[in-house]
Amino acid sequence: MGAREIVERIKEEAVSEREKIISVAEKKADELIKEATAQVELQKKRVIDAEERKGVEELERIIRAARLNARKLRWAAEVEMIAKTLEEAMKRIKEVKTSGFKGNSYSAILAGLIRDATRSLTAGSSTSSGSDLEVILSEEDAPFITSDMLKNIADEISAEGVNIHLSLSDKRIKSAGGVIVRSKDGKVEVNNAFEQRLARFSANLREDIVKTLFKRG
Amino acid sequence: MEEQNTMAVEALKLIREGEEEGRKLIEEAKERAAKLIKDAEEEVDRIKEKAREDAKSLAVQISDKYAKKGKEEESAIMKKAMAEVENLKSIAESNIDPAVNRVLEKILGLV
Repeated sequence: MGAREIVERIKEEAVSEREKIISVAEKKADELIKEATAQVELQKKRVIDAEERKGVEELERIIRAARLNARKLRWAAEVEMIAKTLEEAMKRIKEVKTSGFKGNSYSAILAGLIRDATRSLTAGSSTSSGSDLEVILSEEDAPFITSDMLKNIADEISAEGVNIHLSLSDKRIKSAGGVIVRSKDGKVEVNNAFEQRLARFSANLREDIVKTLFKRG
Repeated sequence: MEEQNTMAVEALKLIREGEEEGRKLIEEAKERAAKLIKDAEEEVDRIKEKAREDAKSLAVQISDKYAKKGKEEESAIMKKAMAEVENLKSIAESNIDPAVNRVLEKILGLV
């Protein structure tokens, strides 16, 4: 082999080596970029998934809060209408005093309340011992009850077995109406003033009011 | 003999030059390869930096999308609730007399 051939061989080998070095480098560079791109795509997918999850959670929170506010709005409307009904009922008591209610005069209504209170106080009393009870009314209601009426009630209840004496007290209550019946010694009483009855029956009344108020058709 | 020696020296010189040229080619190739890798690494940094910025922007976009949807849902729920409340009030107004009577019956001791 001549010197020129040797030189040609050396050059060919160098060119071949150069191509190999560059090819390896290009391949490595390409892999680096491909790997980074894949990593970035994966990261992007993770970000999207995480943000979507957060978004859905936030959306659900907003919807829950809105539904709660909607319920509060309905409750507030119910409460408002219940209050309006109770207010109206208390206002109508004045009308009841002059015109009665469902065919009952106000005197008869008060008599009924006195009767119920007296029966509650004497329930379980022995027949031999008597009960001396007094009836307390508001200034406005006092004219509706007479001594004769009280006597009749007392006689009616006494006939059931317990000896009762009912008298009208000089004391007056501050109330929209109704009565307090109590023992003369003041130890026991039944408060049938309307405000008290309203408070006493409040829970059941509210149920009744809601059923009646929001009945459709 | 002297002529033969001269030819041998020439041949060796040619070979050395060839070897030198080959070394240079490989050296240049190594430098080019190193630049290719360096450029690729810089490109990777750019890709990652852009991805970080895109991720922030994407997060804002997704969050905004759900916030907007949330507002729409909230508005629809409240609108429906307001309509229901108006309807409830209207029903209640039409039933207020029987409800008042029910209260009166109870507090007047008629039931």
